[in-house]
Amino acid sequence: MLPAVSEMHQSQQLDLFPGYSVTQCLFKDVRNAAELRKSAVGGEIQGALINPSMIVDPFQIVVAANKAFHLQKVGKMKTRSLYSEVIFNLSPTNNISESFKKFGIADNDNTVLIVLIHSKEDEYYIDDIRSKIDGEQIPVELISTLSDVPKIKKLYKVTAQEDCVGTLLEAVLCRMAVKDVL
Amino acid sequence: MAAEKDNSAVLTFLRGLTLLKQGAEARVYRGEFLGKPVIVKERFRKEYRHPTLDEKLTHRRTVQEVRSVLRCRKAGISTPVVYFVDYTSHCVFLEDIVGSVTVRDHVNSAQRSETGRGGLEALAGKIGQILARMHDEDVIHGDLTTSNMLLRGRPESGEPDLVLIDFGLSYASALPEDKGVDLYVLEKAFLSTHPNTEALFDALLKSYTAASKKSSAVIGKLNEVRLRGRKRSMVG
Repeated sequence: MLPAVSEMHQSQQLDLFPGYSVTQCLFKDVRNAAELRKSAVGGEIQGALINPSMIVDPFQIVVAANKAFHLQKVGKMKTRSLYSEVIFNLSPTNNISESFKKFGIADNDNTVLIVLIHSKEDEYYIDDIRSKIDGEQIPVELISTLSDVPKIKKLYKVTAQEDCVGTLLEAVLCRMAVKDVL
Repeated sequence: MAAEKDNSAVLTFLRGLTLLKQGAEARVYRGEFLGKPVIVKERFRKEYRHPTLDEKLTHRRTVQEVRSVLRCRKAGISTPVVYFVDYTSHCVFLEDIVGSVTVRDHVNSAQRSETGRGGLEALAGKIGQILARMHDEDVIHGDLTTSNMLLRGRPESGEPDLVLIDFGLSYASALPEDKGVDLYVLEKAFLSTHPNTEALFDALLKSYTAASKKSSAVIGKLNEVRLRGRKRSMVG
């Protein structure tokens, strides 16, 4: 029997916004990335489509989603939508188009991470989006097996010295939090 | 005036946390955020300052704090991870270093036990090395005390990790003068919190001198500052 879908995706409550959660679903062997990307750009998919090879850990997404939702609430987003803001927040730089190139999906990608921010009532939307993906869903925890560590280290400019004081995830989180004032 | 800020989700969230400390500059909370143990530092508004000036100063300190943390980590100095910064309410969400003791408490208890004293020399050496590395990166901490240094146990190696905290008054500067004052502030704090530790502080400075590429100018300035105090005389 296939594992229940609810075990496949991961939801984390956004502590600053009671009632709201961020949900992540990971897919491999995706055959319709180009189509998905078009739907996300066109607004038919209300979610962020992310390239899993640039992600160290699902917590990186939770932090990016928290920041995006917060900036939307205080009216200080740097991009046009909540989901483009999630993608932008992952990037170590303040260059918007570059962040889409690095963290968004490309037409020929075969793995995709989907990120949704939703209230309890909107949970049904998760299944709605899931049905649009032509691929196999795998547990979100497996994202670390898809991470391209050398590429991540290079993009975030993680130094060898920094490896002594903490994990790669921590190095990435600090850069995401501080990039606004660099 | 409180009403306009009441709609901030962050401030509402803080009310659910445990208040650890209330200082002149900020309130410090402990709690859980997105599943991690965190320390939140909230720089509140000061009613006695002009609002524009207050906003500017508070913003700048928040910015300098998180910048210095990142700069230190890049240089291999342990500091708490920054998870999230709210630049509108001036709150910084930091990693809570669980299971740590302050160097202050450690020195106090070691001084009471005969056996603990031997390790203090090594600790002083380590502090000297880390401060040398920080100053070589041109980070000035601004409030060096033994309470702003934590020892985090590392089960694998046995040797505890020294973590620098509270970069609230930190800034970037290459001037030997600023580094000298940074050490002078520590010397004052060190010797007043821990009586009869002159030899220990000397060990710290010796290790700093050996470790820093630019130590001679800094120690020269430290000696000058010792004679005149932290503030430069504006006379003559």
